Amino acid sequence: MERQWTEPEQMLLRMAAKYTDAELAPYDLEMAHTNRYPDGLVEKLIQTGFLTVMLPTEYGGAGFGPEVTAAMIERIAKGSASVAATLEGHYKSVDAILKYGTDALKKALLPQATHRIFAFGMTESTGGSNPMGIQSTAKRVAGGWLLNGNKVMITNGTLAEVYCVLVKTGEQELSVFVVDNSMPGFSFGKREDFIGLRGTPIGEIFLSDVRVDDDHLLGRVGQGGAIGDHAHDDARILMGAVLSGIMQHALSLAAKYANERTALGTPIGQMQAIQRKLADIKINQETTQLLWERAAYAKAQGQPYSELAAMAKAHGSRAAVAACDDALQVYAGYGYSNDYPLAHLMLDARALEIAEGTVEKMRTAIAQAELKKEEA
Amino acid sequence: MKIVVCIKQVPGSNRVSFDPITHNLVREGMAGRMNPFDENAIEAAVRLREQVGGEVVLLSMGPDATKETLHDGMAMGADSAYLLSSRAFAGSDTLATGYILAQAIRKIGAIDLILFGRQAVDADTGQVGPIVATELDLPQATFAEKIQPLDAQHVVVNRDLGAVTQTVQLTLPAVITVRAEANQPRYESPVAIQQSLTKPLTTWTDQDLTLDASRIGQAGSPTIVRKVYAPEPTTRAAKPLPQDPKEAAKALLDILQAQGLL
Repeated sequence: MERQWTEPEQMLLRMAAKYTDAELAPYDLEMAHTNRYPDGLVEKLIQTGFLTVMLPTEYGGAGFGPEVTAAMIERIAKGSASVAATLEGHYKSVDAILKYGTDALKKALLPQATHRIFAFGMTESTGGSNPMGIQSTAKRVAGGWLLNGNKVMITNGTLAEVYCVLVKTGEQELSVFVVDNSMPGFSFGKREDFIGLRGTPIGEIFLSDVRVDDDHLLGRVGQGGAIGDHAHDDARILMGAVLSGIMQHALSLAAKYANERTALGTPIGQMQAIQRKLADIKINQETTQLLWERAAYAKAQGQPYSELAAMAKAHGSRAAVAACDDALQVYAGYGYSNDYPLAHLMLDARALEIAEGTVEKMRTAIAQAELKKEEA
Repeated sequence: MKIVVCIKQVPGSNRVSFDPITHNLVREGMAGRMNPFDENAIEAAVRLREQVGGEVVLLSMGPDATKETLHDGMAMGADSAYLLSSRAFAGSDTLATGYILAQAIRKIGAIDLILFGRQAVDADTGQVGPIVATELDLPQATFAEKIQPLDAQHVVVNRDLGAVTQTVQLTLPAVITVRAEANQPRYESPVAIQQSLTKPLTTWTDQDLTLDASRIGQAGSPTIVRKVYAPEPTTRAAKPLPQDPKEAAKALLDILQAQGLL
């Protein structure tokens, strides 16, 4: 089953492929070495309009649907998983404001999402997969709220300018507010020195008596848990696409090398031991792609997609680590060198066993959904 | 300033087939892409419009699938497009193509500037721009690396001719072919991609143009393609020379002597 894209969707995917090959892929290894994006990379990404892809046209966006958005992310990840992750972090945050923001907030904020990067801050040092463990708070004040706390490990943290933040509005009550980095009391903390996705800024923010108006609350008071879950669901579809793209990258490198490298007078690609690895990488990539496509299709059709999205990420992240490990083994000693991209691809994939909910939490959610179906 | 940019859809890959009788490229069903030099011509046109105002009109001749390439061009910023498509145009060489394009340009009317890419990467002739200029009896400048509007009636063009750069002033309307070095073509933005399909795209057949039937298609094409063949892929062996410069020089000398090149 090959997805039939409309002409504008084909044009978007062609443009993304051309852009990725010329503007991103040549710098991917450099990003892994330097732990940053090269100068001008983010500016050109914004100038070319990548932030607008899934933003509805009424807010100045291009209004592309979830399936082609994820397919574009996959193609970008084939050249740079870091850049794909930056776009994923932006899209999921915009999605949350689209779903839960008031009309006034959407009208005020979303036109900015064409040129300012958005992010979603959930994790704290005391709680990530356990959201009730967080300590940031919002206190009611006249006409608004006063936010205090510290959010860590935010995708695009220190790069993004607009943040959705999960805070406690009561002992057992979570809510989400939107804050802007220009607000008094907002400040950036440190950028993480992670072992993978090293181009993507992943960092922390501090909120010190940040005052926001009532309309900066997303959804209702106490709805924060559900909003966070939905944002995770949206992110996990795109994560599946990122993982599939990483595996396409690894497979392309491994197959090329297997054709070129000879041993015992024959290209190593003609040896069954190597062929098995290439086949396993392809199976892992294809199954992950099928899962994210199923989840994106369900989202586009307005059907439930939480469980499918969790499967795309849970299966895809382990599959991608295994696939990159296989590709590294095909490269043998060179694969183990930081002069070649295989090691960093594996570490990029490894990040997604943790980010946007650990794979353990994914499996719990999948199992619980299945148990519920058979409840008496 | 009203600018027409003539663009061509070329094969998207090297895997092409040829008509066994006419030896012409089979374009039907072929995955195509825009001739890369034409992207430079569109970029130059859009920048001129950004500088002095006006409109950018695309013009292409080819099968229906060429519309995709015209949409790509409109996503780069062109305002509208014309496709010339008819069985009667099949087999047109550069002379017949230049004539048909010139007749279409006459019909579009009120043109200030006509831009082309320096050549198409499939046939590499670079002839169609000059032929159109001749047909329309307009001044022309080929291999432009810079186009500056001077006033409403003139542009100044820097022509990169390899060893020398020539600066010429052209009276409008004029024809210019654009080099790749002229600019870095923009990427189609996602918003512009969505808008490109709502921009006007008009298809004209041979019936819509005033044409001399003896000057179009196979009949109007004096070019005869005797033979078309894919060159045999060649492989070359590389031989590393020793690290030490003296030894390397000696080894190189030995090779050149062995090959009878000295």
